[in-house]
Amino acid sequence: MTRVLLVDDDVALAGMLREYLHGEGFDATTAHDGEVGVEEALSGRYAIVVLDVMLPRLSGVEALRRIRTQSRVPVLMLTAKGDDVDRIVGLELGADDYVPKPCTPRELVARLRAILRRSEAGAAGPGGPVTTGPLSLWPERRHAEWEGRPIDLTSTEFNLLEVLARNAGRVVTKAELSEQGLGRPLARFDRSIDVHISSLRQKVGRLADGRSYIQTVRGLGYQLVRE
Amino acid sequence: MGRFFWKFLLSYWAALLLVVLGIGLTTWLYRLADEGRDASLESGPRATFVAESAAATLRHGGVAALRGVMEEWRRHGDVELYAVDASGRDLFGRPVSPDVLERARARAESDLEWKGARRVDLPGGESWILFVPIGHRSGLARFFRAGAPPSPWVPLLVGAVVSLVFGAALAWYVARPIRHLRAAFASLSAGHLETRVAPLMGRRRDEVADLGRHFDEMARRIQSLVGAQRTLLHEVSHELRSPLARLQAATGLARQNPQKLESSLERIEQEAERLDDLVGQLLTLSRLEAGVADASRARLESTDLVDLVASIAADARFEAESCGKDVVFSSHGETVADVRAELVGRAVENVIRNAVKFTAPGTVVEVTAGADAADAAFLVRVADRGPGVAESDLDAIFEPFYRGAAGSSGPGFGLGLAIARRAIAAHGGRVDARNRPGGGLEVEIRLPVGAPGLLPHRSA
Repeated sequence: MTRVLLVDDDVALAGMLREYLHGEGFDATTAHDGEVGVEEALSGRYAIVVLDVMLPRLSGVEALRRIRTQSRVPVLMLTAKGDDVDRIVGLELGADDYVPKPCTPRELVARLRAILRRSEAGAAGPGGPVTTGPLSLWPERRHAEWEGRPIDLTSTEFNLLEVLARNAGRVVTKAELSEQGLGRPLARFDRSIDVHISSLRQKVGRLADGRSYIQTVRGLGYQLVRE
Repeated sequence: MGRFFWKFLLSYWAALLLVVLGIGLTTWLYRLADEGRDASLESGPRATFVAESAAATLRHGGVAALRGVMEEWRRHGDVELYAVDASGRDLFGRPVSPDVLERARARAESDLEWKGARRVDLPGGESWILFVPIGHRSGLARFFRAGAPPSPWVPLLVGAVVSLVFGAALAWYVARPIRHLRAAFASLSAGHLETRVAPLMGRRRDEVADLGRHFDEMARRIQSLVGAQRTLLHEVSHELRSPLARLQAATGLARQNPQKLESSLERIEQEAERLDDLVGQLLTLSRLEAGVADASRARLESTDLVDLVASIAADARFEAESCGKDVVFSSHGETVADVRAELVGRAVENVIRNAVKFTAPGTVVEVTAGADAADAAFLVRVADRGPGVAESDLDAIFEPFYRGAAGSSGPGFGLGLAIARRAIAAHGGRVDARNRPGGGLEVEIRLPVGAPGLLPHRSA
């Protein structure tokens, strides 16, 4: 069974979600404050972490920051509906995706599966690096290099970069990126792709002429420069 | 420069021009009236006085005495008196033009008030004319007296320029802070609640600066009110979200596994009740804040307050016992007052419930009720043995949705004490909290009952 860590201070809600996840074939453990949540998340026992933004003692955003300093475990944020700041900050800090709360448990499970499928699909994929220009990706190892130096990417960032690399030189629309990279259709007003791409830009180097390696094609999507 | 500047400048300038014009006209008329003016002789009080003195000296002391006095004057160099005898010779032999002498003679005969010339006929038949010619005085006086009298346009022009400069300075001084205020109001109404004018007023101390201070005070209050409303809205939406999330989880569970239908429905009912409770409390709070309590004073009921508190304490005790806690009630005297019993009752109930919630298991919540020493207020004290509250938060616990530092996750929304304080405030009373020696919190409800009926004061 896939092990899921559920960090939410609402004990009743966490209990019910654990029950629901169990019914869907997940082995869920709950933690009710940020500090315990970080400790558990870093234990390496979990395939994915569901993290509520509003947590006592240690906020969800701060918990995410701490997790990301040491681990690349996929993180799904539960954010308050309409609170864009938390969402964008979370994605910038390396959350793989977010679900607005309150959400139906079905939606939560769908998101969990999408993230897990992506990280597992990569691991099971065909060997050999995908190389384009100075960038090399090893999907089976979730490993990326820029000019021979490894770059540290979250699971979602890796997926997006892989989609772009496989289509280098071609414009990839946001809808395609969302479907293939995040595993879900693009929602209206959804800025997650932009936030992920923006943090990818900071991790991936620039071209010799100073241009960004990932080009924005306004109104369409993004494109990896192909020399 | 705004319209205000120009209006101020123009009216100030016009006023000063009128004054200058008026003074100029008066002077000019006065000069017209001064018929005896003569360009070669001094007139006026000073010359007249000198001539009179010399005349008296000559009359009583003779020529020798006059010579002595005149020598004295000449040494000091301030007066040039001429003394000319009938043959036209000056006493000191100074040249005198016949023309000037003729004028002096005419003047001495005239009946002007300030002749400035005297004729003295000595007993010996000698006749002397005493006068002070112009041109024998020094510096500035000569300069002004020398030429023709200045045209009336000169002072007018000077006045116009000077008043323009001063008027512009004054108008600028007054109009500038008003311009700042106008900009500040525009900025405030555009939603920039952090707008303040004090830094722009500098160290002014006047009515406009006062206006600026009042503006700042107003902006500060609006900002804090809007901030509080915003926080409240944020808290409310957050509080509404939690039961909704649980509702959705429960529905999901029921769908996933029909065997869990019964427990899920129970949970759904619970959450629906909780939502209802929250909405009810929010309505109460918002009614209290809107001052509805004041408006319906007609519904005041004569109530035995001790009895009211006793019955609430008894209910609370019943509930507390189920979780190993206790409530003891003690009272003294009897206080009957006209209050809105439902509001006061709810306030007392919220405070007692809160104490029961936080007091440690196995401890006792003490409730005392009775009139205070001066018999002016009815006091209810509710003391628990819970964790207490940080000193800095003793007032904040009465804010809606206050959560303790530990992030209380117990039941309730954090509205109870907020409602209690507002309900008591609607009766002119107050609710305060303090930490107890030995641990725990004591909340005191003070309800004024001195006057018949209750004061309808409401602290905002």
